[in-house]
Amino acid sequence: MDNYIKDRKADSDEWMPFTGLEDGDSLPSGDIYVPLEEWLKARETLLARNGRLGVSLRNTDDPALIQNDLERLDLIVLEFPKMADGRAFSQARLLRERYGFEGEIRATGDVLYDQLFYMQRCGINGFELRGDQGVANSLKAFDEMTVTYQPASDEELPIWRRQV
Amino acid sequence: MALQVYTASLLKEGLVAYLSLENGLPSWTPDIRQATAGTDAELDALKLAAEQSEQENLIVAPYAIEVLETETGYVASTKREQIRANGPTISLPQDTARVSRKAA
Amino acid sequence: MYQYSEQDHQLLLERVAQFRGQVERRLKGELSEDEFKHQRLRNGLYLQLHAYMLRVAIPYGLLSSEQMRTLAHIARKYDKGYGHFSTRQNIQYNWPKLEDVPDILDDLAKVEMHAIQTSGNCIRNTTSDPLAGVARDEIEDPRPYCELIRQWSTFHPEFNFLPRKFKIAVSGATHDRAAVAVHDIGLRLVQGENGDTGFEVFVGGGLGRTPMIGKVIRPFLPKQDMLTYLEAILRVYNQLGRRDNLYKARIKILVHETGEEKFRELVEAEWEKIKASGLYIRDEDLAWIKGFFNDPDYEDLPDRDGEFENLLLSNTTFARWVDKNIELHKQPGYRIVYLSLKTAHQPPGDVTADQMDAIADLADKYSLGQIRTTHRQNLVLSDVKLKDLPALWEELVALDLATPNYNHVTDIISCPGLDYCALATARSIPISQAITARFDDYDFVNDLGDVSINISGCINACGHHHVANIGILGVNKKGTEVYQLTLGGSAREDAAIGKIIGPAFEADEIVDAIGKVLSVYLENREDPEETFLMTYRRIGQPSFKERLYG
Repeated sequence: MDNYIKDRKADSDEWMPFTGLEDGDSLPSGDIYVPLEEWLKARETLLARNGRLGVSLRNTDDPALIQNDLERLDLIVLEFPKMADGRAFSQARLLRERYGFEGEIRATGDVLYDQLFYMQRCGINGFELRGDQGVANSLKAFDEMTVTYQPASDEELPIWRRQV
Repeated sequence: MALQVYTASLLKEGLVAYLSLENGLPSWTPDIRQATAGTDAELDALKLAAEQSEQENLIVAPYAIEVLETETGYVASTKREQIRANGPTISLPQDTARVSRKAA
Repeated sequence: MYQYSEQDHQLLLERVAQFRGQVERRLKGELSEDEFKHQRLRNGLYLQLHAYMLRVAIPYGLLSSEQMRTLAHIARKYDKGYGHFSTRQNIQYNWPKLEDVPDILDDLAKVEMHAIQTSGNCIRNTTSDPLAGVARDEIEDPRPYCELIRQWSTFHPEFNFLPRKFKIAVSGATHDRAAVAVHDIGLRLVQGENGDTGFEVFVGGGLGRTPMIGKVIRPFLPKQDMLTYLEAILRVYNQLGRRDNLYKARIKILVHETGEEKFRELVEAEWEKIKASGLYIRDEDLAWIKGFFNDPDYEDLPDRDGEFENLLLSNTTFARWVDKNIELHKQPGYRIVYLSLKTAHQPPGDVTADQMDAIADLADKYSLGQIRTTHRQNLVLSDVKLKDLPALWEELVALDLATPNYNHVTDIISCPGLDYCALATARSIPISQAITARFDDYDFVNDLGDVSINISGCINACGHHHVANIGILGVNKKGTEVYQLTLGGSAREDAAIGKIIGPAFEADEIVDAIGKVLSVYLENREDPEETFLMTYRRIGQPSFKERLYG
């Protein structure tokens, strides 16, 4: 089993990261994701392929660059290069809430137990856990907190507007 | 090379501690005078023992400090480490507050 | 005052359980110190020079007497019998054990208190005017807005790992008692053209090693848009704030490097897209939150009192205290009382557990059961009847809380400095005590009038030395603690960063140096109404320099 959680369940990861699009003939089959630059360069070639497509963003990339492509993508991969770097939280919310992406938004990098709750609230639903984080244990992190105050991807209204 | 001892904070209590190494057995003491001081190879042994204690989650962030040998034992050489070893240089509030609470 | 709902309570209980789990994982070695550090800081727990330090949030500086008693209980049971009120209106304990912290949080949760986001690179406790709701110069009570910000920012999932810490202050009055211009975001309630209230929005103020006065990026923001606008600013900052250099990571650097105009455009463009979102504050939302901060049932009282006036004439000590530590209240027959935490006996801002309990009792007896904390590290009883002042004064004298020095030379802000702090490079408390001891003469203090001295024990400037009329910065020069003087700063509505006057002084010279600065002022002022700052602004540095170094 991969060290991977999807929609709050242990899952196996069907996706392959792929770079090096020099010759389109060698494209693998199956579900692949490519870095943003390659997507922007070879969108048509990639779309001609059978199999699902994903794009990975560096946390300095503006998600607006792929807002018109989102219907053709099934996965957006975001990076948390270290725990303290929270840029991808904003990217996730923009993808989910502003651009309406409905596929998988996946967190990679320092994906740790204590981050999962926040990631989930920002619309991230795929988690490539860091090697030392166990899946079974990590699943508990989603329910540690049940009260949320502010709107995010999981909740449109602040707590005071939810009350009757 | 100046004489040095290893110091750290105790993980559970947060208090300042110094490494004592006797017959290869490490222990952490709040009293800098009880610390084991060394240079060169002795210091390497202290460093190893300190890192071991850190891995065992007894202490946090060990580092070496320079000490001076005096009649009363080791004294840290910098102001900061002297204050760490001896506590705040001011009297703590409870000692001085002139509180005469009226009977309720 | 805001009353917790069932959900608010639930959130605190869950948070305590979560932190208890994090501590257990740390003690078992499942969490490394590096990773635990992020978690403990988000719960206000530092590892300082001698021990852990726990910072407990006091939302916008407002405490009930019951909460104050819990703070006393914690000081007694888990610490060394005292606490320290900070410049951000919070309280800090200097000696808790890691193992005890979950229990401390449990005790705090029972009285609707916590340590959430009192440290770490997230949105910190919102600070405000300690006279909110009672000040005569108030345009609108800022506390309902502070409470909305508290709720919005608590565990905000997007903004919990910002480039750096983030501080917001809100003021609702003409006079700025919340230092809004030196916060990451400062909000000042102002009257708009149509008579409606809104916010003047300052961004990018702050102290530390690069002190800056905040820029007004919006002169008027309708109050309904406060949260959407904050969200827009934070989103721009979270995405673009520098993460490559710790010392350039605050929003002030982003604003500075991006340029005010461009930064404003980025914020406004983001805001356009979210201004109609769920964070828009509807009239009914505002009515709901304002309901928690309604005026108490003030009695209809005369604004004069015979016993009070008699004592004023017959007792000089009482008259001095009234002159210095009492402020007029918006309600006739009531007064605002400052409790000075600045004596020569205790470090600035420190209060013993016995004093805390006694203050709680006084609040119940004389001031509707509430206490406020100030950014100048004092306390306030906000609703005292004029006729009760003589009795209250007697009790405060017995508690050593009646030093008549509010906003005067011995009302010194001081960070904990090298006596406690792991970052400090020099001690600050002993210097503040030496200055207080030297100038602790009422006639002198009174003659000097309104003047501020602030001391920081390192470049991080927790003692706000940059915005003091006379600022003192302790640094370590080749192993010796030396002290640099800055003059001309202000944290009020005329906010300014002080300028360094010249080479630093040794610890045993600094009190004399302050004495010289004060005499230059006294010799040069045009009349007693001209404050230190006014004189300094008029005559500039030369005379001061001449006296100090000539």
